[in-house]
Amino acid sequence: MQELKLTKQSEIVNELLARYGVKFGIYKNNVFKEQLFPFDTIPRVIEKENFAHLEQGLKQRVMALNCFIRDVYGEKKIIKDRVVPEEFVYISSGFLAPCDGVTPPKGVYTHIAGIDLVQGKDGEWYILEDNLRVPSGASYPMIARELCRRSSPDTFEDNHIEDNRYYAKLLRWVMDYVNVGGHTVILTPGRYNAAYFEHSYLAEKTGAHLVSGNELMVEDDYLYFVDYTGKKERVGAVYRRISDEYLDPMTFKEESVIGIPHIYDVYRKGNVALLNAPGNGVADDKGIYYFVPKMIRYYLGEEPILQNAPTYLPFYEEDMKYILEHFDDLVLKDVAEAGGYGVVFANKMTRQEKEDFISLLKKEPRRFIAQEVIDFMDIDILEDGEKTPRKADLRAFVLMADEPLVWKSGLTRFSRNPDSFIVNSSQGGGFKDTWVLSQ
Amino acid sequence: MKDLRFHYHMDIEFSEPVCNHTYTLKCIPQTTQTQEITECTVQVLPANKVQRGCDSFGNIMLYGNVEEEQTLFSVDVSGRARTGIERQEIGGRYTDLSIYKYQTPLTRPDSRLEELYQKCAEDKTAELSLAEKVRAYMKAVYESMSYCKGVTGIATTAGAALSMGKGVCQDYAHILLSLCRMDRIPARYVVGMLLGEGESHAWVEIFDGARWMGFDPTNDLVAGDSHIKISHGRDYQDCSINRGVFTGQAKQQQRILVEVTETEGASFSI
Repeated sequence: MQELKLTKQSEIVNELLARYGVKFGIYKNNVFKEQLFPFDTIPRVIEKENFAHLEQGLKQRVMALNCFIRDVYGEKKIIKDRVVPEEFVYISSGFLAPCDGVTPPKGVYTHIAGIDLVQGKDGEWYILEDNLRVPSGASYPMIARELCRRSSPDTFEDNHIEDNRYYAKLLRWVMDYVNVGGHTVILTPGRYNAAYFEHSYLAEKTGAHLVSGNELMVEDDYLYFVDYTGKKERVGAVYRRISDEYLDPMTFKEESVIGIPHIYDVYRKGNVALLNAPGNGVADDKGIYYFVPKMIRYYLGEEPILQNAPTYLPFYEEDMKYILEHFDDLVLKDVAEAGGYGVVFANKMTRQEKEDFISLLKKEPRRFIAQEVIDFMDIDILEDGEKTPRKADLRAFVLMADEPLVWKSGLTRFSRNPDSFIVNSSQGGGFKDTWVLSQ
Repeated sequence: MKDLRFHYHMDIEFSEPVCNHTYTLKCIPQTTQTQEITECTVQVLPANKVQRGCDSFGNIMLYGNVEEEQTLFSVDVSGRARTGIERQEIGGRYTDLSIYKYQTPLTRPDSRLEELYQKCAEDKTAELSLAEKVRAYMKAVYESMSYCKGVTGIATTAGAALSMGKGVCQDYAHILLSLCRMDRIPARYVVGMLLGEGESHAWVEIFDGARWMGFDPTNDLVAGDSHIKISHGRDYQDCSINRGVFTGQAKQQQRILVEVTETEGASFSI
């Protein structure tokens, strides 16, 4: 692709993003710090055919994940058929017993899924991680696109790019599909949350009310929004951006002050839809990830279109053997951690660290997974006006109503540190727009 | 078999008025394989609209909220139960069992628990039937602990209680659960009432392949017709009788009184 006019506008776009408050909050040593989310104007470009392939694979994957969650909290066939060992389900921190036997409105558990992928040097896409709980990030490429169009309209006339600003419509379509009667709200833990910008932006774009826990209340098994005059109006769908544990002090963490007492009981009775469905984290556990290809075969009777990164479970003897033999080539992940924490590259460990780690691995095999380090394709970023290659991943968004739909864009995150493979925003990375070509 | 009359009373006194008090109660005993509840009345004060639901473990929940200021909250449950009976299997699907095979944060074994488990294993528990094995575990718990109020709390783990060697029924139950689950025996925490006067009680049920059997480690005995079960779950967290939050700075004082008596003349033995 020839030089884009857009890349000359880097400063302007970043200034605009700052002015619009596109920030990401980070807690470091218990201190909340908001920082700008650095934007790189060189887009990740995905060809039309390549994206069509991704789209098929992502739809298939999210369908299977949704089937899995419904099964785990329902009949548990996949466990009885021993495709997934029961300990992987019941020990998972994402498995929530209060969700057992509870079916959400329309049977949807994964309303908004953020699937992280990387493209290998061979051009093949690999799934790194499924994020089903409260995945964030869609707002960033949305607003970046908006501001890029404003800064360099020519670029978007000269190139055939799928418009990504319809994400709000997709989201609204999902919210309306599951709404059981009443208003739709976006529930935020407040402005000290890492993704507060996103909460307010999505509320504005979808026309949903942005509310905090103390503006909602439960009465007689229904959920109400209480406005400043004290008037109560029924709520039929809550896109909640707070995690399961804090959602309802009467069912989950009792000390939660950002949740709504009894909201879970309203949900249990089918009187409100919660997006995403509580308990769906059982399917995005790093230990369960290993089984997703098996789920696709089990529920859909299809071969997986997109591959997992080669993964080993120390839980299985033969895998443990492989891990010990190839220890230095692997990356080890603690299944209980997220956001780039608890990830260690074996070749970066000292001898003592290795010994300690291996004994921990033997003691708690269920706690870790090991993966081959994928040599993923570098993407150019601009640094001081020069192009330099960096590691980058892609978070694709799949929304689910009566069928899954893949957003024709995504959040491309890159690591600013040239030696790092970790691209998470919470680790200080930057982002790019993701262009899907329309022809 | 016994014919029992039970009365559970709980009140919470707030040191100053509180409002927006929301609560969930799991206080209603149900008919099971070994008990039949023939009569049950519940009174919640302040009188307010109370919703009824069922949690994922099968316990009945009563819940509601009191927006107005209040200084006293009370719950009264009374009724009659026939205990020590044998009824047809109700519920108990396979799917319900597996959840109870795995440790929870409150029962997760530490080195002390593993030690106790090993000690039991040396006593050749492997050759015993499931029920005998659990009896051996129960005895080990009973002998490792002395009953003492006020040294443990609702967040005390099985390991912490065992290290102290002291605790109440809840701690005894958590330790026994931990031992059973190290063998992957489906074991659940039970809240209930015991014949006589006192507070609510806690014990353990294990699934022996055909039915749930009660073991009361605090008293080192198999739960029988002196026990009335109210609820069950994976640990204390799942079946606390009362859970509540409110707005206000008040200190709260909770009183619980349980009274279970045998009804005169109505009991007979076979």
